[in-house]
Amino acid sequence: MTGLLTSWGEWLPRLLEGLVTSVELTAASLLLGIPLGLVLALLSSSRTRAVRWAAIALVEIGRGTPALVMLQFVYYGLPSAGLSLTAFVSAVAALSLTTAGYTSEILRGGLQAVPAGETEAAGALGMSHRDTLRFVVVPQGVRIALPSLMGFAILIFQATSLTFTISVVELLSQAYSIGAATFRYLDVLVLAGLLYLAVTIPAGLLTNRTERRLSRHL
Amino acid sequence: MSAVAQEPAVVLDRIHKQFGDLVVVRDVSLTVARGEVVAIIGPSGSGKSTLLRCINLLERADSGRVEVVGRAVEPGAGVAGRDLAALRRSVGMVFQSFNLFPHMTVLRNVSLPQERVLGRSRAEADARSRQLLERVGLAAKADTYPSRCSGGQQQRVAIARALALDPEVMLFDEPTSALDPELGLEVLAVMRELAADGMTMVVVTHEIHFAADVADRVVVMADGAVLEEGTPEQVLRSPSTERARRFLSAVVDR
Repeated sequence: MTGLLTSWGEWLPRLLEGLVTSVELTAASLLLGIPLGLVLALLSSSRTRAVRWAAIALVEIGRGTPALVMLQFVYYGLPSAGLSLTAFVSAVAALSLTTAGYTSEILRGGLQAVPAGETEAAGALGMSHRDTLRFVVVPQGVRIALPSLMGFAILIFQATSLTFTISVVELLSQAYSIGAATFRYLDVLVLAGLLYLAVTIPAGLLTNRTERRLSRHL
Repeated sequence: MSAVAQEPAVVLDRIHKQFGDLVVVRDVSLTVARGEVVAIIGPSGSGKSTLLRCINLLERADSGRVEVVGRAVEPGAGVAGRDLAALRRSVGMVFQSFNLFPHMTVLRNVSLPQERVLGRSRAEADARSRQLLERVGLAAKADTYPSRCSGGQQQRVAIARALALDPEVMLFDEPTSALDPELGLEVLAVMRELAADGMTMVVVTHEIHFAADVADRVVVMADGAVLEEGTPEQVLRSPSTERARRFLSAVVDR
């Protein structure tokens, strides 16, 4: 037992380094992906058919393609088309697209949950369509969608482990290379698992709390 | 009086509206003079709310002409964005379900449209909002959220929000139907005051006493058409059609 703890102590700094990369990947993918998801959610109910279809197509590609395939496509596929990105940038690009696809559906649900009467009232007051979205629909829709968005953020954090396959040095990749050097895969993977849990469990609790807080005014 | 002052506030000319095969409003014409209070009554499904919503183009009439303070549009032929904005600016509307913005304080609810539609500054808008909230008896509620207000209070906020844009005509779509009788009275009191101040009002309502006391003219609708039209005296006391008599006895004699 002390042997295991000593080893874990030795491995921890490298694993924490990997964890930081995982968290950075998650943050970057969410920061790019969620705004893109919101734009797609708004465009997918556009009155112009071409715009609506283009948005729906992007959403379906983002959602329908497995994250692993998306990662391989960006990192190994795009260089053949003349676009070479670093592993980290490829990972952010791929996970952002996945995020955008999923969150646009989550956000669209939130936007649609805003009572139609309020949109009508804003129209009757003479507010433009754009102002109605900006001040009435989007703030409430995002609030409604927030708990689901936070739940999705936890999933995308877990999905960062897939970037190990395109040689991003994140948590799983660090654990794997320690395992390869020591042959103690089980021990190091348990520690890696605990580190994932150290992020996902508090994040889950935070999601629940946010859900309760947000239901106050609505 | 000058020619401008005599021009009617609202003219509906042969308005026709149908949803699919269902004709909801059948070639209805109605003129509302400036300062006049018109109450539209009638059984559910008679098309009175739809007619009201045709005035500010929340419903686009399939044919007919809508004219508000001299600006005419033919909704069936399409409406330019500028005409729509101008029309909405001169018409305020109060809904059965209040439709306040629940994520904003009462004050923000009243101020935001002024800032966005009239381009008032935050300070100007807030000053006007507080003045109107005072007028509807809710100065103390300015910084609370709508969910903390009773239905009657929410409806008075909705009235203040509409008035804040200085409309020339106010439309009321069953403003007290979602309220219990006592809370409805608060709202009716505000509406009486508004009428006394000379506001042009078109009110779809089931409040027969309000119609009798406050309206200059009562219009009875059924099946998408106007059955009767006249002073409250004429219409409520001695209706000329059998259908109107039946409806009125149901609301007056309860």
